[in-house]
Amino acid sequence: MGDLDLAAGSELNMNLIWASILIPVATAAVIAVANARAARGLAAVGSLASLGALAAFAWQFPAWSTGGVSPEPGGCAWIASINATLGIGFDSVSLLLALLEALLIPICVIGSWSAITDRQREYYGWFMLLHASILLAFAARDVLLFYVGYEFTLVPLLFIIAIWGGPERRQAAHKLFLYTFLGSLFFLGSILFVGWQHHASTGLWSWDMGTLSSFASTRLPANTQYWLFAALLAGFAVKVPLFPVHTWLPLAHNQAPTAGSVILAGTLLKLGTYGIFRLALPMAPEGGAALAVFAAVLCTVAVIYAALICWVQTDAKKLVAYSSVSHLGICMLGLFALNPIGAQGSVLYMINHGLSTGALFLLIGMAYERYHVKDMDQIGGLAKRMPVWAFFMVFFTMSSIGLPGLNGFVGEYLCLFGTYIATGDASTKYPGLLGPGFALVAGTGLILGAMYMLLLVGRYVFGPLREPKADSHGKHGHDGSHGHDAHGADHGDHDGHGDLTGREVGLLVPLALVCLFIGIYPKPILQAIGPVVERTLAPYPAAVERALMSKPQATEAVQAQAKEDDRG
Amino acid sequence: MIAAPAMLSSVLALAEGPLDAHAAPELRWAGLALLLPLASSVLCLLCGWLKVRSKLPAALTIAALGGAFATILRLQGTVGETPVVVNLFDWIDLTWGDGSRFHGFTANVDLYIDRLTVFWMLFVTGLGTLIALYASEYMESDVGKGYTRFFGAVSIFLFAMGCLVMGGNLVMLYLGWEGVGLASYLLIGYYFTKPEAVAAAKKAFIVNRIGDLGLALALFLIWQCYGTVEYAALWKAIEAAPASSEWTAQAIPWLLMLGAFGKSAQLPLYVWLPDAMEGPTPVSALIHAATMVTAGVYLIARMFPLFVVNPDALAAVAWVGGLTALLAATIGMAQYDMKRIWAYSTISQLGYMFLGLGVGTTFGASYHVFTHAFFKALLFLTAGAVMHGFAGQLDIRKLSGLLKVPGFRLVSVLAVLGCFWLAAFPFTAAFFSKDEILVSAFTAKDDRVHLLGWIGLLVAALTAYYTFRVCFRVFFGPVKFEPGHELHGHDDHDHAHDAHAHHGEFHPHGPRWAIRVPLVLIAIGAILAGWPSYRTMLHHDESNWVKTQVAQSSAFQGVAAESHGSLDGHAASSHASAHTEDAHADHGHLVLGMDAHTAVGRLGSLACIVGILVSLYVHLINRGTADALRRTLMGTVATRWIVVGAERKWMVDEFYDWVIRLPLRVIANILSAIDELLLDAGIVNGIGALPAAVGRVFRPLYGGVVQGYAVTMAGGVALVAAWVIWIWLRGAN
Repeated sequence: MGDLDLAAGSELNMNLIWASILIPVATAAVIAVANARAARGLAAVGSLASLGALAAFAWQFPAWSTGGVSPEPGGCAWIASINATLGIGFDSVSLLLALLEALLIPICVIGSWSAITDRQREYYGWFMLLHASILLAFAARDVLLFYVGYEFTLVPLLFIIAIWGGPERRQAAHKLFLYTFLGSLFFLGSILFVGWQHHASTGLWSWDMGTLSSFASTRLPANTQYWLFAALLAGFAVKVPLFPVHTWLPLAHNQAPTAGSVILAGTLLKLGTYGIFRLALPMAPEGGAALAVFAAVLCTVAVIYAALICWVQTDAKKLVAYSSVSHLGICMLGLFALNPIGAQGSVLYMINHGLSTGALFLLIGMAYERYHVKDMDQIGGLAKRMPVWAFFMVFFTMSSIGLPGLNGFVGEYLCLFGTYIATGDASTKYPGLLGPGFALVAGTGLILGAMYMLLLVGRYVFGPLREPKADSHGKHGHDGSHGHDAHGADHGDHDGHGDLTGREVGLLVPLALVCLFIGIYPKPILQAIGPVVERTLAPYPAAVERALMSKPQATEAVQAQAKEDDRG
Repeated sequence: MIAAPAMLSSVLALAEGPLDAHAAPELRWAGLALLLPLASSVLCLLCGWLKVRSKLPAALTIAALGGAFATILRLQGTVGETPVVVNLFDWIDLTWGDGSRFHGFTANVDLYIDRLTVFWMLFVTGLGTLIALYASEYMESDVGKGYTRFFGAVSIFLFAMGCLVMGGNLVMLYLGWEGVGLASYLLIGYYFTKPEAVAAAKKAFIVNRIGDLGLALALFLIWQCYGTVEYAALWKAIEAAPASSEWTAQAIPWLLMLGAFGKSAQLPLYVWLPDAMEGPTPVSALIHAATMVTAGVYLIARMFPLFVVNPDALAAVAWVGGLTALLAATIGMAQYDMKRIWAYSTISQLGYMFLGLGVGTTFGASYHVFTHAFFKALLFLTAGAVMHGFAGQLDIRKLSGLLKVPGFRLVSVLAVLGCFWLAAFPFTAAFFSKDEILVSAFTAKDDRVHLLGWIGLLVAALTAYYTFRVCFRVFFGPVKFEPGHELHGHDDHDHAHDAHAHHGEFHPHGPRWAIRVPLVLIAIGAILAGWPSYRTMLHHDESNWVKTQVAQSSAFQGVAAESHGSLDGHAASSHASAHTEDAHADHGHLVLGMDAHTAVGRLGSLACIVGILVSLYVHLINRGTADALRRTLMGTVATRWIVVGAERKWMVDEFYDWVIRLPLRVIANILSAIDELLLDAGIVNGIGALPAAVGRVFRPLYGGVVQGYAVTMAGGVALVAAWVIWIWLRGAN
């Protein structure tokens, strides 16, 4: 690839990436000084421009689609004394996640037009900063830069939840901040340790992801790698979130405003899975192989545990929030299968989960704007009132439960498949540590997923129409739901409870089309992910072999010890 | 297991023979059979968007399905003995390493076309077209409301069914498998304001999902054993590496079976099908009787090479089929809702098909699928016409003598005809197809399944009884009827039918041409379905069309294993393996001193006629006796359970509810409480309470908010520390 990259091209692609990150920052600055009423328009334009820049990058520099990285590693100095750089660049995995983020942000912004009526300037300003920091995290090739983007997402998100959230927003915001901040400390400690080790060993400072990964994976002893992986896993597990450090998520989701939930589920959680994929797995293959089973057990527990909890929720939003824990369990399980099928499925699953769960949060938010109730004991059968909304609910539910032909299936299927074949058998070139047992147990997630999602659809969307008394109606702004006077004539006091507006349909259609596309023709995406996944997993066959070898030896040692004890 | 080597040798013969598929890009037009229904579903969606208030969606659907049927007809003329693979486009295609076997996973959107494919698609698309035509009138009260949704879902169903049957690999089959599940979900829940309909739809989807998990795991296993899930490559891989005795290879048929039992409503997963009758009747006819529920039979027939190596699995299939047939027949005898009786009869007949598969006659099973599709569609559609005309009345106690009601004569005659077919009256098509299955049961090499022949005969008598119970009650006897309460179960009572009801006298209205024409055509189909057997019987011509269709496919083993009747053409002659000779040796198997074929023919006829005669006396000549009998049985404790059990469906639903759903619900509630109280409030805040004292020291400095931070943070630290210590302890060992 190096010879293909002309200097000029390299600058343009770098500039396009920076543009996609900095446009939202600039937009935030403009919003801060602009008229409050212009804020939402500015935010929409800014987020669309950011998406445009990123799309232009993806279009102009297709190296990512064949497994390359663009631009080539390197970047201008940032903190010269320790050789930290502003190195950015995308490969397929990070670019796809960044594109997902850039797609979701305009949808969130425009989706908030009717929901957010007070302190609009702050709201859209924080949203733009959130966007910029998430993009920065995905684009970073320098671990310190990644840390900055990763960590800074907390600040805007905290404000968004704490100011525009539900009644328990304070508690939710605190919990979110503490949990994830604590997690990041582990992460920061780990990367500082690796950087220091690199300096101690080579005499040079470097924070480039590739350099540090190859250094850590080849030069650090297995024992150190074990600890490194454990620390990174601990750090990122909070963000993913893995059982049992997930308890911040349902509350945060439930209390966040709709757009906050969409971004939280859509891409913020993916920073955790991306971190494991990008840093933990390549840096410490010995640790990854040693801890894969432990992590997989947590994932499997999460799949069933969270799914069962979903099943008894009555709050629609909380149900979808818990479903994220279950879904990400399957996603991470695919990653810990440590073979290309599982890992490709896992990366695809990250994208799919963002699309379908994001859309579900959006849809629940749209109904919430009309009724101000999410409790399925009080509200249900909305298909009668909102058939278009119901169509999208069913569509994204099917996407979420992995109906073949839609996006969810491909990722979920490959994750479980990868898990299944991750046995010690080396004929696939990638021996694994999981196997049929894990796939069987996690596979019950398919059944449980259908159970709770169809419960949601059966009560919330279908069934006899149940509407709450129109008490809170009129207190909040309904910019989005006017123009239904014709309905008002028929239904008396239900005006404002009309079906989706053109704006809302316009938000959902792109998501639905992407879901369909991935479901029907995932080939280009899988092809793009493939080489990156193979590169990431390259050290694993050997590491897994060693892990497999050490197990019987350990048992033999234990047995020998036991025999000696008997004799003694 | 003894028979396995012989069977294997014929698998080997099969793979190098006509099943060696070749790619045929020139047959890409066959994809129209999938594309047209898909296009029609998209157009229906568009109609819904544009709020079309006409019968346009129906017209679009009928045209598309008709086109698909024409495509299949043309394919029937084109396809030869060699299966062809048509690649439409690439779907999932992964490779790694050197890309060799086990270094890649391919599941593209391919069509695998052999005679079995075409055979199945012929009746799926043909009946689909006719039933769509029927539905265009049946659903007309919903024009402008759910009409487009209905036809959109029917189109999705035909598309998914096409993927299931025509797909060239197991992932395509899985796509269709779940796709028909979606269509079924949407159509059962068509009257979505009715809680029962929504619950039934959910139940159908979830119970099917249990089977789907089995299918998904089977796919993984197949790949693990053979390195491919594409049929063409799979047959070759089986040829190259005869199935090992490892648990992986042995487990495949068991998992496939689970999927088949879910979709085809067999024990223990049959409970969704009776409830599925909440859907509009054309849907019950098309999806829940004629086509979708036969997918399980197709799956096992298609994957037969994986079953023949495992006689235990085959015996299990046979027993599950036989027991399901018996159980469903006993329930069907005690129900009063006409659609539900037909639903249980569907389960029972599907049981016969699995019995046939289990005893090795894929031909008999497929033939029964074929004949059953016609007469069961006919029965459901006539039931629907009655329901349509009598404002939703389906209770067989409240309808009588419809043969004499003006406007219902044709419908009644056709329904009575259908009853003869369902009861397998001698010399009807179903008689022959059932005959095939029972003869194979009696003559199977596996001793464990011979008893099933007798069970099958018993079920034949029960079937004749409950079928003619409906027939004599509803269509014969004095004219007497009560209208139902609802209009096709729909909640909007703003239709002219109710106006009828309000004016005192109820006038049932007879169906018009769009209902009558499909009924007549399907009845003709039901009669013609017996044609291959008539030829065999009259001309002693063994070239049975259905047998040829099934023989030249991967379901071939079944035909070879069959005890009698050699195949036409080269399929049989070129594969006269040791195995077929074994089969001929079994031909001398005697039942009651007679040759099995003669015995089954006579006993089957006898069972049918006895059943009909009992029914005739109890339900027509002296209708009081049935009630008297019921009272007598209810009178003594010793026999009471028979009536109560059969009427309450042997409490299987309640059993599942208590044994599975309820405990799961309790566990879920406990976990939910744990998550909120223990993990969250308990551990996080509880451990946090220790350093709360420390927090108090700093309170003057930072204020309450920061104290909250500190407390929770400390809790989090403790939690993560505990985790790390745990990992460390584990690592230290």
